[in-house]
Amino acid sequence: MERYQQADPEAPAVLVSALSPSLLRFFRSQSATLGQAEDLLQDTWLRIHRVRHTYRPDEPVLPWIYAIARRVRVDGYRRSRRIDSHETAMEALPEWPAEDKPRHAPPVFEALVAALPEAQREVITMLKVGGLSLEEVARATSSTAGAVKQKAHRGYDRLRKLLRSYAEAAGGAQ
Amino acid sequence: MNCKDINQAIIEGSASSWSPEAEEHLRTCARCRELAGTLKVPVPADLPSPTVLREIERGLVADLRPVRPIPPKRYIFVSMMAIFIATAVLGLSRFGAFAIAAMTPLQTGAIFGALAISAGLLAYSLVNQMVPGSRYRVPPGRMPLVVMILLMVSVAVLFQFQHERSFWFRAWVCIQGGTPVAAFAAVALWLVLRRGAILSPIMTGGATGLLAGLAGTTALGIHCPNLDAWHILVSHLGVAVLGAVAGLVVGWAVENRKLIRRP
Repeated sequence: MERYQQADPEAPAVLVSALSPSLLRFFRSQSATLGQAEDLLQDTWLRIHRVRHTYRPDEPVLPWIYAIARRVRVDGYRRSRRIDSHETAMEALPEWPAEDKPRHAPPVFEALVAALPEAQREVITMLKVGGLSLEEVARATSSTAGAVKQKAHRGYDRLRKLLRSYAEAAGGAQ
Repeated sequence: MNCKDINQAIIEGSASSWSPEAEEHLRTCARCRELAGTLKVPVPADLPSPTVLREIERGLVADLRPVRPIPPKRYIFVSMMAIFIATAVLGLSRFGAFAIAAMTPLQTGAIFGALAISAGLLAYSLVNQMVPGSRYRVPPGRMPLVVMILLMVSVAVLFQFQHERSFWFRAWVCIQGGTPVAAFAAVALWLVLRRGAILSPIMTGGATGLLAGLAGTTALGIHCPNLDAWHILVSHLGVAVLGAVAGLVVGWAVENRKLIRRP
């Protein structure tokens, strides 16, 4: 990151290749399609580039990166919601036929966290997908470690309930 | 060991190697077993397409030039506090200091102590908001609320509630005096803030407006000899509230302009 600030021409490639996969997974786990996630990834790097002078070498880099990514995601979500609201006003998309939806499919991480409230989903995704520590998640979300811990606890409790309901639904279907 | 302890182990990342107690709990608790199993499953690793990565790299390299890292936090903090004090003193030099003689030493010390602490807390929060990924002891969204409660309680405890004549006229005179001081402080603070990366313009706008408003409140606190608690709450702290509201509106406009500009 320091080399990037000093305009070393090799630094961007190193940073982009090292951090982009986890950033893309972060966006994907937040209910974005691959195309949307790649757009958000590009936006994130643009913003990182614009504000690279605000990184301090003595501070951890991941919270700095994820704080920016998180903001890009929020802006992207608000933008797409605005566009969606205009589009649905003109033309409502038909629902998928119920038969086509996989019933009682085994729950995967992404499907499970998608059912969580946004704040819990974000914290759990950063912890499990981004590999950030509690303290780093607190920094990235402008919060305190205590608040992050509480959200994670609530999120895991909710995941347990969801898993149980999946299991019961699957048991009932058999 | 119970389900909460399993949560704790997952949060702390020790789920890769369970302790014997945790393993015992997992054997007996189906819900924890399911949760641990699901979280072990790796998230499908979609990799960004090489074209996208190349595009990003090209974009960054094309505009690559050395940047000077943002100054240390303490320098920014000191400059914000200097702006706060300078604008309050500037306002004071225009109005005169009539309140000091009217207040008791306890009132003087306590109210200006509370104002200084509030300004310090807001400036510290703003310094952190300029740098993404900063560490917070109080979440930045709550800080303006904490500061306002601190000041309102201080005023309510230190001054007496009276029923004065022409309350609204006097309040309006004070608001008119304090608002230009706040506006001046806001412009100066913005010059400092624009060096940072403001991720949430609404939140930062509110805190900046409140800090700027407190400069006006401080100038009025030294100038205005009216010690009625209602007057201080409505007109002196009113300047701070007006500043916060103006900051929120400016922040909202900046945030929405940014969204509208990029369809």
